[in-house]
Amino acid sequence: MTHTATEFRTDLKPVWCPGCGDFAVLNSVHRALAAAGCAPHETILVSGIGCSSRLPGYVETYGLNSLHGRALPIATGAKLAAPRMTVVAVGGDGDGLAIGGNHFLHASRRNVDIAYFMMDNEIYGLTKGQAGPTTPTGDRTKSTTYGNPDPSIDPCALAIACGASWVARGFSGDVKGTTELMTRAIQHHGFAFLNILSPCVTWRGEEQHKEIRAKTRPVPAGHDATSREAAMRFTDEGEHVTTGVLYEVQRPTLLDELSDIELRARGNGPAPSRADFLGAFAL
Amino acid sequence: MSEDVTFSIVGSGGDGAVVAGDLAAMACAAVGLHVIKTEAYGPQIRGGESSSTVRISPVPIAAQGDASDALIVFRFADFARFRSEMPLAEGCIVLHEPDDAPPPELAAFRCVPVPFGQLAKDAGAPGAKNIVALGLLAAMFALPVDSIRTAMRKRFRKREASIIDANFRAFDIGFSFPSPRLRAETQSEGQSRLLMSGNEATAFAALHAGCSFFAGYPITPSTEILQLLGEWLPKIGGTCLQTEDELAAIGAVVGASFAGSKAMTATSGPGLSLMSEMLGLSSIAEIPSVVVNVQRGGPSTGIPTKSEQSDLFHAVYGGHGDMPRVVLGCCDVEDAFHTTIDAFNIAEEFQLPVIVLSDQLIAQRRETIDAASLVHDVVQRRVPQEPDESYRRYAMTEDGVSAMTVPGIAGGMYQTNGLEHDEQGRPSSMFITHERMNAKRHRKLDAIAEKYPLFRRFGAADAEVGILCWGSSAGPVAEAIEAMNAKGARVAAFVPRILAPLPLQELQAFIDSCARIVIIELSYEEQFHRYLRSLITLPPETDVHARSGAKALSVTEVIEAAAVLEEVTA
Repeated sequence: MTHTATEFRTDLKPVWCPGCGDFAVLNSVHRALAAAGCAPHETILVSGIGCSSRLPGYVETYGLNSLHGRALPIATGAKLAAPRMTVVAVGGDGDGLAIGGNHFLHASRRNVDIAYFMMDNEIYGLTKGQAGPTTPTGDRTKSTTYGNPDPSIDPCALAIACGASWVARGFSGDVKGTTELMTRAIQHHGFAFLNILSPCVTWRGEEQHKEIRAKTRPVPAGHDATSREAAMRFTDEGEHVTTGVLYEVQRPTLLDELSDIELRARGNGPAPSRADFLGAFAL
Repeated sequence: MSEDVTFSIVGSGGDGAVVAGDLAAMACAAVGLHVIKTEAYGPQIRGGESSSTVRISPVPIAAQGDASDALIVFRFADFARFRSEMPLAEGCIVLHEPDDAPPPELAAFRCVPVPFGQLAKDAGAPGAKNIVALGLLAAMFALPVDSIRTAMRKRFRKREASIIDANFRAFDIGFSFPSPRLRAETQSEGQSRLLMSGNEATAFAALHAGCSFFAGYPITPSTEILQLLGEWLPKIGGTCLQTEDELAAIGAVVGASFAGSKAMTATSGPGLSLMSEMLGLSSIAEIPSVVVNVQRGGPSTGIPTKSEQSDLFHAVYGGHGDMPRVVLGCCDVEDAFHTTIDAFNIAEEFQLPVIVLSDQLIAQRRETIDAASLVHDVVQRRVPQEPDESYRRYAMTEDGVSAMTVPGIAGGMYQTNGLEHDEQGRPSSMFITHERMNAKRHRKLDAIAEKYPLFRRFGAADAEVGILCWGSSAGPVAEAIEAMNAKGARVAAFVPRILAPLPLQELQAFIDSCARIVIIELSYEEQFHRYLRSLITLPPETDVHARSGAKALSVTEVIEAAAVLEEVTA
């Protein structure tokens, strides 16, 4: 049974500012869940904290808007406990790269079979405008009065380096393109990371939307997405920002590995009994 | 000649002091004796000093033994590191290498040179001086020789036959070496017992409770729980995940529990500190979680290898906001099993975080228990399979518990969060919602207090002196009370096994029934005393015996703290 995008909508009104890129991302999420063939009651959305982490409240699935930075470990636990469910983690750049950066590294390397959508606005929006890990060097923000001293991170470069098996970049303003990327991410077997450039009109200015649109260009035809080196060429690009699937390989997921471990632990025999377990503690 | 004996073996890493203690303990357990075996180590990863102390008794015991009746020392330099924590009984016999002279402080004891290393060489097993020592101990304490041989065969089963034979020769040489006889053989000692550590009992309890998901990060002294469940859970279709840190461990537990699994993590003080925020989420989003916190010396890194009872405040008060949680404290190895299952039962029924406070003394000592005692009723989460349109995840109820659906159930979908929320789980910053939801979540504690008034009360029925303690202190307190009452005193103890919410009525009734109250705990800050003061009425002249951990509470210490024997004999 297939479900329509409408079935994934809730009647709760988002708290986002008018013009926020996350509205379009939400729209894409509704469409992508339907396009990927997900059932609302067999889907789990997990987020951290931040403007974008409010998203699960606006999607009619099982949803958990959790703690700042902790979406990925929670999503990992949920996926391992309920492998039949589609598990999607969502959040912002500060949530995923600063306070939750360690989990991003490990979810990528474990290749947990979840999709992770990072709404990247280059700023902390919910706390009203402080520099984040993707804020360009030198930018003046509310917490960097004299300019941001830190170099910014390209989340896609990080994901590729850490072992994510599917890495893409999208732009919220391109609803059709983002929906397609989300659909592929959900369907990918393994950890699928989608960095979505999603402007913050309130703290990055009305122009951010236009600037991003002017900078983006699609991944060129003939790009070898199975090559890490090729994929890395579309990270930290400077003048342009490439959208599309940068990297895509197939490798065993954490669940695949755990299934193997179960076989190795148990062999072909029956599950051990209580007496078998207690035998280790007696002569 | 006492049948209740304690001996210690001390050496450098690689000397096999711990292996010899293990073999003796396992052999005695197999013939139905009661055993408590402890180990102590220096901070080195390999090498360094290590020691093993074994107490053996024909009747049930609750403490690890105040002082050793015999001490085997392979190197006095190693013994010096343990001296302050390893008291020797009056008349203790000290066996040592002939070329390693005992320090002057041991002059009061009978020191007997034994060429352990040379005897092992004579046996053709140069590394087996610990087995020579085991033979000697077997002769001195009339340990069950056949059972020791079985234990050795099991332990060395992967070694070559020639090596096993050499070890048997080493044992025989030790056994035949002239030594004093310190214990008569006990006849027909009964059924075989299990020898388990607290961490092993905790891990086994998780299986018994139906835990199918464990996530953890290695931390002393709780790591064995992670290791065991990593070995066991895959055999029964469960999952064990070693995470990148404790934040992720408790996060994965909350995620797995949200998705419908019984889930647990285990840690020690520093890990519990990191988990605080997520326990708040477990509390406000009403997602069951079980955390076993094996206490060690603190704060910060403190003393990772030694016990203390100083995480009580953190467990009962830690975290921001008004955060209902349950805290249980286990008293011994067998109780680690029951308490862990109680924790799952409470967490699953009442949908909140439950912290089990164990400690290093319980977690890493091995103790005999009867397999038949390892049974405990298991509660399952109530999940509505066909919720109708009126389903609200956080519906108001009398006891505060609302039906919890899990992913996969059509019509049960809800979006929840760590934000304050209404009955549907939708965020709300309104006072009225916050107040009502706080009340709903805290009502669960009343229901838990009523259903789970977990405590132990032992000693005189008409006690004059009442001892209050918790956790591993219960063992030495129990033995001290037995000794004092045997001499005519009237002492009893009340040991809450549920620390939050406390069994207030029963506790207050006990306090009011005693003429004098003594509080005993291993916390310099007197955390237990101060916690009790905040909740119940204690007599103003309450005696408090509180000190740092890192040294086990002794029976003698409890008797001195209770200070009743002088009055009785006067």
